[in-house]
Amino acid sequence: MQAALSLDDTLPGVAPVSTTLARMVGIGKTYGSGEHAVAALSDATLDIRRGEVTLIEGPSGSGKTTLISILGLLLKPTNGEVWIDGNNVAKLGERDLPALRAKHFGFVFQGFNLFPALTAMENVAIAIRMKDTSIKDPEAEARRLLDLVGLAPRAHHLPADLSGGQKQRVAIARALGGSPPILIGDEPTAALDTKTALSVMELLRELASTAGRAVVVVTHDPRLERFADRVVRVEDGHIQGIDSRRTHP
Amino acid sequence: MWTLARKLLFHDRLRFAVAIAGVSVSVMLVLVQVGLYFGFMDTASSIIDASHADLWVGKKGNESFEFATPFDERTFFKVASVPGVRRAERVLMNFAQFKLADGGDLGVQVVGVETTPGHKPLLAPWNVIDGDPSRLSEPGAIVLDKSEYPKLKIDRVGHQTEISGVHAEVVALTNGIRSFTTSPIVFADLKTARSYLPLGLDPVTYVLVELEPGVDTNVVKARIDALPHLKSYTTPEMSERTRSYWSSRTGVGAGFFTTAVLGVIVGFVVVGQILYSGTLQYLKEYGTLKAMGARNSAIVRVILSQAMISAALGFVVGGILAVGMKKAMAGANLTVALSPQLYAATAVVTVVMCSFAALLSIVKVLRLDPASVFKG
Repeated sequence: MQAALSLDDTLPGVAPVSTTLARMVGIGKTYGSGEHAVAALSDATLDIRRGEVTLIEGPSGSGKTTLISILGLLLKPTNGEVWIDGNNVAKLGERDLPALRAKHFGFVFQGFNLFPALTAMENVAIAIRMKDTSIKDPEAEARRLLDLVGLAPRAHHLPADLSGGQKQRVAIARALGGSPPILIGDEPTAALDTKTALSVMELLRELASTAGRAVVVVTHDPRLERFADRVVRVEDGHIQGIDSRRTHP
Repeated sequence: MWTLARKLLFHDRLRFAVAIAGVSVSVMLVLVQVGLYFGFMDTASSIIDASHADLWVGKKGNESFEFATPFDERTFFKVASVPGVRRAERVLMNFAQFKLADGGDLGVQVVGVETTPGHKPLLAPWNVIDGDPSRLSEPGAIVLDKSEYPKLKIDRVGHQTEISGVHAEVVALTNGIRSFTTSPIVFADLKTARSYLPLGLDPVTYVLVELEPGVDTNVVKARIDALPHLKSYTTPEMSERTRSYWSSRTGVGAGFFTTAVLGVIVGFVVVGQILYSGTLQYLKEYGTLKAMGARNSAIVRVILSQAMISAALGFVVGGILAVGMKKAMAGANLTVALSPQLYAATAVVTVVMCSFAALLSIVKVLRLDPASVFKG
């Protein structure tokens, strides 16, 4: 157990950790107990670094979702450590987690999860407001973020009037509310056609490269590997390997 | 939060309309039922409330204002001579048969009052809208309420008939004086009333008392109560006693309030179901907000705001419907007493009802695991 690790330490065989935004060390997650216990994830260690796109690949039931749920502080690990801002937050209670999630994470989902009654701008603004950030004018910030994802002209449209790709861009803008350094995507391109999927990944790639964010994407789609700096392969609850890719489009 | 709550509610207009209909019906039922109850109670005690007496003195053991046992006139003089009593007046009250124009009879409640000319009585017909009430002192003169015209089959001041076979002439009309027993109230001078009500020698049902200025009401009451077979009440006490008699003896209070409670239950169920189904519909979106750091309290505020919007709009619509019902019921001689206090109390009930209706949705959101957004 590397309990003494901090963000200034270096894990063997990986890049300098000065860019590390979050670190999972020896993470395990077991559902149930006794003879009914199911180990969803075992001894998973992973750094999440600024400016990188990390793809998490693996078959269904391999533990990908458990891995990003624990990374996003949505699920408590049975054992192991999650380091953020120099603190092990793995054992924090639900009382403390919303503020941490609001500060560090944005989420993008396959199903977009946009309120159908709200316009694109309102969907982004309400998330900003609910994150309880210090942003004085959530509407102005929402407009800026929609502009960032190229959707300013559609700011006042309802989700029903947007294409799948546009909805996902709204969801990305919403995830960027409050400027979290880590974006986590759960199959964000699965519901999109190839062209749209690639453009969404280009956007995520750009957000990582230019804004210094870390983007972590769970996917089944090998075509997305070209956008990744690293590909983490998960099988049977174990991280089988981490492929580093130094070039991307 | 208001914007989100409002837009989520208005997005599904049919469902929102059902929610508002539920609250509106609930509000209307509460207002009309409780208003009817208070209307009946106002009617039951209207004669007492309209009097200028400090005390009402009747026979001990009388339970009902209308069906009180009379006593003889010597008792009146005993009351009038009690220290602290400035003035005493006699009231005779009982039921008699009113001869209708078609030859039939109708039971009426005769109220005999003292009508000394040039002297303001402690009890007299009020809300006079036609005729000359000063003629009430004339033998056979009576005053009726306009609302009883159809029942009594008369259509004008000056109509002549018989009560208990004795001559009667309508000399004035009032507006809004009705009896809880539904028998029309007939005001007459004490002497005329005695001719309609052969209850023995010089009967008296109540003695109305005006106290000397500055005397202790309780001291005078005690002096009167010390007299044989008599019991005195202040006018508010008498009014309350009469209201509670009719409310408890007839079950009218329980009946009206049960319907009002049923109205609240209907509203609670409808609003609760609408809010809950709305919460279920947006569970993924709420989960997404929670995943991104929104606190439970922020989402609870959205749901409570939806409940308050439903409560406010339902209250306005229900309140207007209740006014319509009041007007419709006035045609049937039913009084719906819609006071500002009743509206205020109903508004509080509506807010509480809608807040409790939101509880199930709130519990659902509080228990919503933000990790569930990853589960497809």
